[in-house]
Amino acid sequence: MNWIEIVSIFSAALAVSFGAIGPALGEGRAVAAAMDAIARQPDAAGTLSRTLFVGLAMIETMAIYCLVIALLVLFANPFTS
Amino acid sequence: MNGSPLVLEPVFFVGPVPITDPVIVTWVLMAVLALGCAILTRRLKLRPSRTQAALELFVTAIDGQLRDIVGGDTAPYRALIGTILVYVLVANWMSIVPGVEPPTAHIETDAALALIVFGATIWFGVRARGAGGYLKTFAEPSWVMIPLNLVEQITRTFSLIVRLFGNVMSGVFVVGIILSLAGLLVPIPLMALELLTGAVQAYIFAVLAAVFIGAAASEGG
Amino acid sequence: MQIDWWTLGLQTVNALVLVWLLARFLFRPVANILSERRAEAEKTLDDAAAARKAAESEREKAKAEAAKTAAGRSAVLDAAQKEAEKQKTSLLAAARADADRLRDEAKAAIAGERRAEEKKMSARAGRLSVDIAKRLLERLPDEARIAGFIDGLAEGVAALPEAARAELGDGSGPMTLAAPRALQDAERDACKSALRKALGHDVDIKVAVDPDLIAGLELTGRHASVRNSFRADLEHLQAELTRHDDA
Repeated sequence: MNWIEIVSIFSAALAVSFGAIGPALGEGRAVAAAMDAIARQPDAAGTLSRTLFVGLAMIETMAIYCLVIALLVLFANPFTS
Repeated sequence: MNGSPLVLEPVFFVGPVPITDPVIVTWVLMAVLALGCAILTRRLKLRPSRTQAALELFVTAIDGQLRDIVGGDTAPYRALIGTILVYVLVANWMSIVPGVEPPTAHIETDAALALIVFGATIWFGVRARGAGGYLKTFAEPSWVMIPLNLVEQITRTFSLIVRLFGNVMSGVFVVGIILSLAGLLVPIPLMALELLTGAVQAYIFAVLAAVFIGAAASEGG
Repeated sequence: MQIDWWTLGLQTVNALVLVWLLARFLFRPVANILSERRAEAEKTLDDAAAARKAAESEREKAKAEAAKTAAGRSAVLDAAQKEAEKQKTSLLAAARADADRLRDEAKAAIAGERRAEEKKMSARAGRLSVDIAKRLLERLPDEARIAGFIDGLAEGVAALPEAARAELGDGSGPMTLAAPRALQDAERDACKSALRKALGHDVDIKVAVDPDLIAGLELTGRHASVRNSFRADLEHLQAELTRHDDA
């Protein structure tokens, strides 16, 4: 166990945790807006929920990016080879 | 869970070519899809049966989405976008088959699909405007934007790759971790979530591909 | 992180092949069948529209036909009604005329009957009066039947116009003196003298007996006659009465 591995694990955890904050807030706002819109216009609920799902997937991609980086750091760290 | 999820081990070699797991799964999928479609579409009638009606509904839905995104005649794009949708969907759902990893959980497959989309964007753009006309779209709204437009081409393709790869791979990864920790029934909700994510990601991939192609091919730029 | 370039290449080829396969086996046939169905549906719709148009025109024609039939029927009805009206009017007129005629005939028959009845009645009355007169006269003396009338005859002769008087008894023809019975000599003389006085000359008198006169004398010449008898009076009376009745 050397320093590089320790730092890698900590940075991976940091990346995932902080990377999850932004998308979490964004998804919350998106869902709130979608609920508001559905309450205003129940007729458009189908279109709204479909768009909401796509939007959520897009936002979640940010968190996924962080996860990928974390995995890269953990399993494909270029400095540990 | 032995080793990295990012590394592929060759299953066997054909000459110097290493054949890996995703390639084998893709071949099987290709065979099943092609055979199934051939059987289903062998006897199409004007008065549709139940399965034929379902197929027609599927194709009509794709056409409708394409018309919304691209506009005009959807026939040239239908096969490419439809295939991407079907393949990504089925590949993502391979995660529920025991012992099989989805091909899209490996970055090579996603990269291949994104490369095809990239090539199709250029191809349809050139076909719609000519080579000069397509190159000119990089200088819009002014020549200052050329580096940005070029970088955008690269980054959006890369984000296409990583989005699909990250979602599917993280799903597989999480399910694998849970499976190694807890017993039999615990991973089922996560697997169900994985099915939903897989469908949504397939839809997003196809829609984004259509948007890129449509932006390249449409008159306005 | 290492990328297996062989896998990348193979997957690209695989994806392209899959695109071709699905286009060949899924999208092209389904799209074909969809467009085929659309064409078929369009054709069916066109056919249906044409059929509907044909049906519409057929219905129009049928309606026109029905209207024509109705018009013809109403015309026939009108004609029949008019005919019936005319017939009724003519029948009524004929009936009225018949009735009028019958009534007139009946009236005429009644009038004729009444007249005949009256005639008969008057005839009977005449006969009755003659009979009464006869009876009454039979009570008188036989002379009175003649003698009482001689003056009257003379007056009648004197009342005649001059020419007629001159002509009477001018000898050109005999004058007939009708009496109810054969005249006695004295009576004939009285007559002669009275006539001579009235006419201014002698007259030749032939006496005829006519019991119908009842009483009185009648002088008949060639052109004129003087009647002075009960029969004449009675006849005169009767005529007067009858005319009065008629009036």
